[in-house]
Amino acid sequence: MRDTDRMITDLVRDLRPVPRHALRDRFLLGLLPALAVSLLLMLAILGLRSDMPEALMLPVFWIKSAYNALIALVALWATYHLARPDGAEGGFFKMGAAIVLAMAIAAAVQLVTSPPEAYGELILGSSALHCPFLIFAFALPVFAGISWVLRKGAPANLRLTGFISGIAAGAAGAWVYSWFCTENGMPFVLTWYSVGILLVGALGALAGPRLLRW
Amino acid sequence: MTIAHSEDVLKALMLLSLDGDEAAYRRLLTTLRVLLVGYYTRRMGAATKADMEDLVQETLLSLHSRRATYDRDRPFTAWFFSIARYKLIDHHRSRGGRRLAETELGEELESGFSEEALTARLDVERLLDGLTPRQQELIRQVKLEGQSIADTADRVGQSESAVKVSIHRALKALGERMRGGS
Repeated sequence: MRDTDRMITDLVRDLRPVPRHALRDRFLLGLLPALAVSLLLMLAILGLRSDMPEALMLPVFWIKSAYNALIALVALWATYHLARPDGAEGGFFKMGAAIVLAMAIAAAVQLVTSPPEAYGELILGSSALHCPFLIFAFALPVFAGISWVLRKGAPANLRLTGFISGIAAGAAGAWVYSWFCTENGMPFVLTWYSVGILLVGALGALAGPRLLRW
Repeated sequence: MTIAHSEDVLKALMLLSLDGDEAAYRRLLTTLRVLLVGYYTRRMGAATKADMEDLVQETLLSLHSRRATYDRDRPFTAWFFSIARYKLIDHHRSRGGRRLAETELGEELESGFSEEALTARLDVERLLDGLTPRQQELIRQVKLEGQSIADTADRVGQSESAVKVSIHRALKALGERMRGGS
């Protein structure tokens, strides 16, 4: 009993004002530098794709970029809410499914309008085997950044928060990687990018309960 | 004597605390501590008093270190009892998870933290303020937490009859306060 009295006194003495947007600011502080590190690593190790000027004119390049960016934003939004003890994922799975579905439609359209000889190129490309692992690698700085934020947060569902924050980091890593990757197949992106993103999600789900405990 | 909207009162204290008001923060922590004892007592039947006190302290510490995660536009009690609930589940989990299912089932049944219950509890606490600390503790343990006279006597190191007399006197004082005060 007396211990608690003393503790309350200590806590009161330690009280400092908290800015209104403290949590949001902390997310920005953890995320933006991590994303910059990931981009710099990509530029230093891989470099932009060799046909960049032409690629910027291709719709598929921007669809690929948007697919990753949208998943990253939706997952990040959910993570931001899950960082509060009374927060929920707020429709993350529905929105994520809608984005994947839109991508599946784009992939189907591309396949239907292409000759069968092109299927190998569109689905497997030339980098199917290492694409998911490079995405995983470029996601790691972002994963570290988000975890740093969440460890100061108060998520109540650690596994779910770990999973969705992993998806956010994975999609951010995939977005970074998409500036290097020369694949133009939508089925390729739908398959191998998603595998890379899910790998980071799995890492988050596995590590979450230990990593994010408070 | 009644506090019409305890959520409002607690939230107002929290908002002042977030701006650095130490007096409000002390009031908030003291009130929440009492609420937590009730909350954990209802959910940890077999727990020792030390366990309970640990949990109360951990929860208040978490409120302190995680207070940036409170969204000023949302209810305070929902936020706070989410922390309490997390700490309770975490406590059971670290004990091997045996009572985890039970805890979650109990939460299910009692979900929708009742504002009337909170208000009533705050009223009681306000009444108890007029008693000596020893009397307050006895009333809390025996009358609010429902512990037996024998257990309580053991814990405070008095004879059963002394405990009974103390409680009788405390109740009498409370009765006078209520007749005079409201």
